[in-house]
Amino acid sequence: MGKMVIGLSSGSIDKLTAAGVIMSGAAADDMEIEVYILLTTARAFMKGNENLQDSVADLPHLKDEFFARLKENNVPTWVEFFEQAAEFTDVKVYVCSLAGKIWGGVKMEDFNHLVTGFCGIGQYIDAAKEAELHINL
Amino acid sequence: MTNEELNALAVNKSVDARGTACPGPLLEAKRAIGTIEEDEIMEVLSADEGTRIDIPKWCKKQGHEYLGTVEESGYFKIYLKKQ
Repeated sequence: MGKMVIGLSSGSIDKLTAAGVIMSGAAADDMEIEVYILLTTARAFMKGNENLQDSVADLPHLKDEFFARLKENNVPTWVEFFEQAAEFTDVKVYVCSLAGKIWGGVKMEDFNHLVTGFCGIGQYIDAAKEAELHINL
Repeated sequence: MTNEELNALAVNKSVDARGTACPGPLLEAKRAIGTIEEDEIMEVLSADEGTRIDIPKWCKKQGHEYLGTVEESGYFKIYLKKQ
């Protein structure tokens, strides 16, 4: 069913959750998924940071309301969305080596279980060119 | 199919996804379809408007037969046949 590539440029909860929702739709369609973690996004993928809720990119003044609505609607956490997608399809999550370094992540063990490996920006560009669907968040 | 025909179907699997928002019901349907045989019928209960649109489209993409949707008070019953 093809491949979807997501370039994720924000580690905020709203962007991560949006990525998770889109990944779920792609997983339902049996699309392979590759996620490329760029710059500030890498912080959320550092081991121990999975439950951080200190950043929303959009409407930051409504952060508390946003989190309350997510809970009220039984919306999975972004980590659960990523795990759920991986139940149904092949999901690979690559951390840009520069992004990792910015947050002190230089070895695979610095990152959580969702991360497949490191990448260079060239790998992301090639993957985006070859994918049926490329989304940048 | 009419609502009467849909309501009269012998359902092999019922998935109650009324507690989850989009994309939860779609993934629950995907998970459950693997548990039934070809030509068996599945019913998905959902209170989510997006799911009402997504499941027929998903059936088309996956090659399953979408049979129809019955609107109940506050939720939908979506019927499909596994192909």
